[in-house]
Amino acid sequence: MSSVSRIPSWQRRDTGLTVRMILSFAILALLYVVFLSVLVYIGFDIIAITIIASLLLLAQWYFSDKIVLWSSGAKVVTRDQFPKLHDMVERIVARNSLPKPKIAVVNTNIPNAFATGKGGKSSVVAVTTGLIDILNDPEELEGVIAHELTHIRNRDVLVITLASIFATVAWYLMQFGFYGGLYGGGMGYGRDRNNGGTMIIVIVVAVLVWIISFLIIRAIARYREFSADRGAAQMTGKPVKLANALMKISGNMRRVPTKDLRQVEGLNAFFIIPAISGSTIGNLFSTHPPVEKRVQKLMEMEASMS
Amino acid sequence: MRFFGKFIKKNYNPKTDSDVLFSLSSAYLTIESKMGLKNSGRCALSLKSISGMYFNEMKEDIKRFLDISKTDFELSYRTVTDSYGYLWIILEGKRMEDLLAGISAIGDTVDEKGFSNQLLAAIFEFTNDRNKKQYLIYNYKRNTFYPFVPLDSSKKLRNTEEEMKMMATIGDEVPLEGDMTLWYPLWDLPL
Repeated sequence: MSSVSRIPSWQRRDTGLTVRMILSFAILALLYVVFLSVLVYIGFDIIAITIIASLLLLAQWYFSDKIVLWSSGAKVVTRDQFPKLHDMVERIVARNSLPKPKIAVVNTNIPNAFATGKGGKSSVVAVTTGLIDILNDPEELEGVIAHELTHIRNRDVLVITLASIFATVAWYLMQFGFYGGLYGGGMGYGRDRNNGGTMIIVIVVAVLVWIISFLIIRAIARYREFSADRGAAQMTGKPVKLANALMKISGNMRRVPTKDLRQVEGLNAFFIIPAISGSTIGNLFSTHPPVEKRVQKLMEMEASMS
Repeated sequence: MRFFGKFIKKNYNPKTDSDVLFSLSSAYLTIESKMGLKNSGRCALSLKSISGMYFNEMKEDIKRFLDISKTDFELSYRTVTDSYGYLWIILEGKRMEDLLAGISAIGDTVDEKGFSNQLLAAIFEFTNDRNKKQYLIYNYKRNTFYPFVPLDSSKKLRNTEEEMKMMATIGDEVPLEGDMTLWYPLWDLPL
């Protein structure tokens, strides 16, 4: 057996990510082309809207870090304020030869972390004080920070922003089409009935494009979460620590019962069929995959390591 | 959805209790080699006691069986009734195969006498190098295993990290309880 094939699959290069990215963008581009063709076919003037939407998106991209920091209330902190946090980030970036990002802290009890910025040194990793408190094991916090560093390394902010272009354009067109259809249909009464019909087509197509691109963005985002988990596991070499951190952050730790089996046995806890809580729909629309799935994947990595 | 899937799987799970139990006969080696734990040679089966002639008869049958098979299996046993009213049959032996054979034979006897609804769990004990206990609990109703690592039983704290490690280590070999909300602990085991 060659030494290469014995490396667990999650430690190898993540080709799946690249493939999915290209595929997703190809589908999005195709959608866009189809959408444009329809618009051109019915003679709709889209130039103005496209320019405005593009400018908005460019601005969104350029100011993304500032917008995110401002809206979340995160403050960039110096080494003097949070020496341990700075040490920890420096350790991880040094070990993985990454540029050191800025570090920000949000003063809230809710445990959370995020990354933003355009990549490299201008990027920001932000953690909440609640996160620092709840993850009393430094290796758990390291796992979460490595997860965010992977987001930066994978340029996830850029990817998601680009992916939203299509959705945003479709959204504007949908609204424009809706109002246009309303007034066009009303005022065009007796003069040009056909106009209302085309407007309806525009609305229908725009809605479809918007829904599909929305779902695709969700799928990309969810896949990138798994990738970031994987990257974090590679950086720290301790998937179980990140898994434990995720359990703590999501409050799932409390779901592991402490009540004795002998006490609940009488309650027939094992025969209660749970209500289907709409989790299938929830899965489609959420950007983060369910914690159980992520924990499961991390534990698979852990298992392949020992 | 995962939860739901588990139910479907269970309803069509062709595996019998002893199939699932015996999957431990190789998995315990994985636990020992990958996690550095040692099987302590102790395991137990617990079932809810009820008063009545037939239940007592079954108890005597089990004892008689264990007395006879002492020589074949190299198992010693004792019984304890805990404060919850559960009867514990605690086995001690050198080899995991014997322990599993013992547990599954007791289970069969209980089943034959029509008391299978009383069966609660089978527990297998492991110890780490600092002599801390870690358990695998087999739930008869669910026909699955799950880990239980007590951290501080007076405060009812458990070591979820070690539990997840155990689960990851033997996940491929043993049918595990996928729904963590059903990982009910058993505090103060009379093992």
